[in-house]
Amino acid sequence: MIQIFKKTNIDFMKYKFIAFGVSGAIIVAGLANIFFGKGLKPGVDFSGGTLIRVLFKSPLPVSDVRQALTEQGLGNSIIQEVEKAQREYIIRTAGLSAGDIQADQDLEAHAILANRIIETLKNAEDKAAVERGLLDFNNAGVKEIAAVLQPAYPDEAASLAERIINFRVEKGIIEDFGILREAGISDEVISVLKDRTFLGSLTVLSRDTVGPQVGKDLRRKATQATVWALLGMLVYIAARFKLAYGVAAILTLTHDVLFTLSVFSFTNREVNLPVIAAVLTIVGYSINDTIVIFDRVRDNIKLMRKSPFEGILNASINQTLSRTVITSGTVFLTVIALYLFGGQVINDFAFTMLIGVITGTYSTIYQSCPIVYFWQKIFGTGRRVRR
Amino acid sequence: MKKGLRWKLILTLGIVGLALFLAYPPGKKINRGLDLRGGIHLVLQVITDDAINIDTDEEINRLRDQFQKKNLTSTSIVKGRIGQITIQGTTPDQEGAVRDLLDENFRNWDYVFVGATATLTMKSEVQMYLRDQAVNQALETIRNRVDQIGVAEPTIQRQGLAGDRIILELPGVDNPERVKNLIKTTAVLEWKLVKAGPAADEQTLLASVGGTVPEDAQVVKGDPKRTSGGFYLVERVATVTGKDLRVVRRATDEWNSPAVSFSLNPEGGRRFERVTGENIGKQIAILLDDKVISSPTVEDVIPATSGGIIRGRFTIDEAEDLVVLLRAGALPAGIKYLEERTVGPSLGADSIRKGLSAGVAAVILVMAFMVIYYRLAGVNAITALILNMVLLFGALAYFRAALTLPGIAGIILTIGMAVDANVLIFERIREELLAGKSILNSIATGFSRAFSAIFDSNLTTIISAIFLFQFGTGPVKGYAVTLIIGISASMFTAVFVSRLIFDLTVAGKKRKEKMSI
Repeated sequence: MIQIFKKTNIDFMKYKFIAFGVSGAIIVAGLANIFFGKGLKPGVDFSGGTLIRVLFKSPLPVSDVRQALTEQGLGNSIIQEVEKAQREYIIRTAGLSAGDIQADQDLEAHAILANRIIETLKNAEDKAAVERGLLDFNNAGVKEIAAVLQPAYPDEAASLAERIINFRVEKGIIEDFGILREAGISDEVISVLKDRTFLGSLTVLSRDTVGPQVGKDLRRKATQATVWALLGMLVYIAARFKLAYGVAAILTLTHDVLFTLSVFSFTNREVNLPVIAAVLTIVGYSINDTIVIFDRVRDNIKLMRKSPFEGILNASINQTLSRTVITSGTVFLTVIALYLFGGQVINDFAFTMLIGVITGTYSTIYQSCPIVYFWQKIFGTGRRVRR
Repeated sequence: MKKGLRWKLILTLGIVGLALFLAYPPGKKINRGLDLRGGIHLVLQVITDDAINIDTDEEINRLRDQFQKKNLTSTSIVKGRIGQITIQGTTPDQEGAVRDLLDENFRNWDYVFVGATATLTMKSEVQMYLRDQAVNQALETIRNRVDQIGVAEPTIQRQGLAGDRIILELPGVDNPERVKNLIKTTAVLEWKLVKAGPAADEQTLLASVGGTVPEDAQVVKGDPKRTSGGFYLVERVATVTGKDLRVVRRATDEWNSPAVSFSLNPEGGRRFERVTGENIGKQIAILLDDKVISSPTVEDVIPATSGGIIRGRFTIDEAEDLVVLLRAGALPAGIKYLEERTVGPSLGADSIRKGLSAGVAAVILVMAFMVIYYRLAGVNAITALILNMVLLFGALAYFRAALTLPGIAGIILTIGMAVDANVLIFERIREELLAGKSILNSIATGFSRAFSAIFDSNLTTIISAIFLFQFGTGPVKGYAVTLIIGISASMFTAVFVSRLIFDLTVAGKKRKEKMSI
């Protein structure tokens, strides 16, 4: 059999003070950065605003995008280039100038701003084509395309339109009508399309507008969910093990959450809903690890009656070490797969999980056990654990 | 085969078969969330203050009426803060009579007298009822409108039981802006006789009637898009309203421009006949949400049964939208959007592609690892993992839970986490084997001793997922659901099914010296 570890006997508990020091330093630095430094960058979900994701037909350098927006007084929008180089961008509207809008119409104002950005980015050819009464093929729906084909193909218009649009959906944006031949569309149909429609220079992939009220609600709910989840676990573990273990578990989890947020504060990433989902998953994952070790401690306390408590903790960590490494390994593999292949939309989530898996594994060994140890030393009398 | 084993095998096959039946073919049976299929997610708030104000206005009218009937004096009866009416200038000798009136006919209101002023406050349970009604009616109206537009599989629900928010999910909408406007329009349609106008500004308009607005009239504006703009003086009371409409259709007028034709219910029709008969040659204004959209001249009496058409320089789409609005009815209160998310179908298709490739990569990596590390036992774990996925999809289909992009991430994570139970068991079995126990014995102890750790750790993970579900909106909820189902299913597959596989293979052979683990 392949074994990662033969019987190990590492004195993990010896490093407890070093571990406390390292974690403490990182968390203190992170919290300082969050509260007095750069802070966490809230995404649209939490701060409100509009996020538009556009795909251009042909490459457009980021400087051109910025210039076009600046000319329209939208220069303070945040522009991020993603995935397909120079063709796909995420644009976030920046704070609104007070002159534009009344306060109670915040959301409406963001929506209007988003429309203006989209209009600005369309090029002159698009506008001229619309003037001539042509339909924008890259943004048209099935019904509209069917209406275009209706005169020439009264019977098949609907099914043709559906096939054409499905093909466009797969491609994202069509650069040249000729490519429709790949979908088995005949040259005659293509020439009808060429006559009546034009290939718009961009398509809007997605668009999120969140009002300030919802952002505030979500912030409150996210905090509540995290706190309640921690309390729920404290109660469960205290009931199944002992209060000391419950306290140690949630201190460990709090460590994980703070550690992850600290690391996050040093990156340039925005905190949005998926990131919070990832943080809560980390909570669920790290507790998994912790409980497996505690479960061993629970067993060992009965088996190793004569040993000192520190020795029991050490033995338990050692005995579960290969499991800890293997499980973290498989989870790490899946998270890496998500991070590398999951695409940009899910990337923040995967990144947060990546930090969390590492933190969770480390904290189980170096935080939860020492905390139980100290708690027992200070408050504990007996070593009995409820079963 | 032992009898116990046979039943376990039948149970397992039954459950897996059921899951397969529920989930196959996944393209059809699994509900895709908005972020994967494209569509709009809207959160809107019903401005329930409107409902309170409307009711307060009606009550003020009733008060004025009653004061007149009973010969009570007051200098003014006006709206105060929200849900309040102030009556000023009552005389001391009439206080008793006013109190009697309020006690008898205005039971929804609490009142206090301070000198000559009475302040009425709408009782809080009445306010709550009105607000609740407004949200319910708005929900109903919006549902009607969405049905009229013809959106397939919309979700329209109230957020929370007593909240003033409504969540709408509309998959596959081509033109989000149009739909948004359509939902937001209050759509109160009224026909009111024109007393004067249109005039370029308010002063000119009022000059023609002596400078002030008469008691029974009001000034309204022309919708600049539909009329030549300007101001109208119209009667306060409408001749007919949208509520009197019976059939509404898109039509064309005599110049072939898009218009909307309507017919009236008997009562509305009779009123329309009488008013048109008495006012031949005068203008009648058609108002949508207090803006004039057209003001035709009454050329002849319009019989009760004939109905008519509404013109207003419509495009075909605009005429169609008006039909939708009139058929679905008016909103009882204004609404405003709090959140809108639009996902184009391309992004959804792209997300599915990427999610699939990440999923396939994760499965291959984890499976390869398990087989290399645990050999045949690894194959056992993989079987459990595959069954886990089957059960997960079966459950998703059964609960009609929407699969979202974070949901796909949840499934991929489940792959990593679900093998944890197997790892725990296998490591225990190895320990027992190394301690020199027999294979049968090792398997039995491995499973039983690993169980408490598996149970406790999975349950705590589920606790955190439940809170995530509580907090989450759309996509995040989908994630929490897949996580909860995935972990629950893994307890069954990794503990029950894996054990069964061991029992059927390894343990079945009486003297096997080595176990492949």
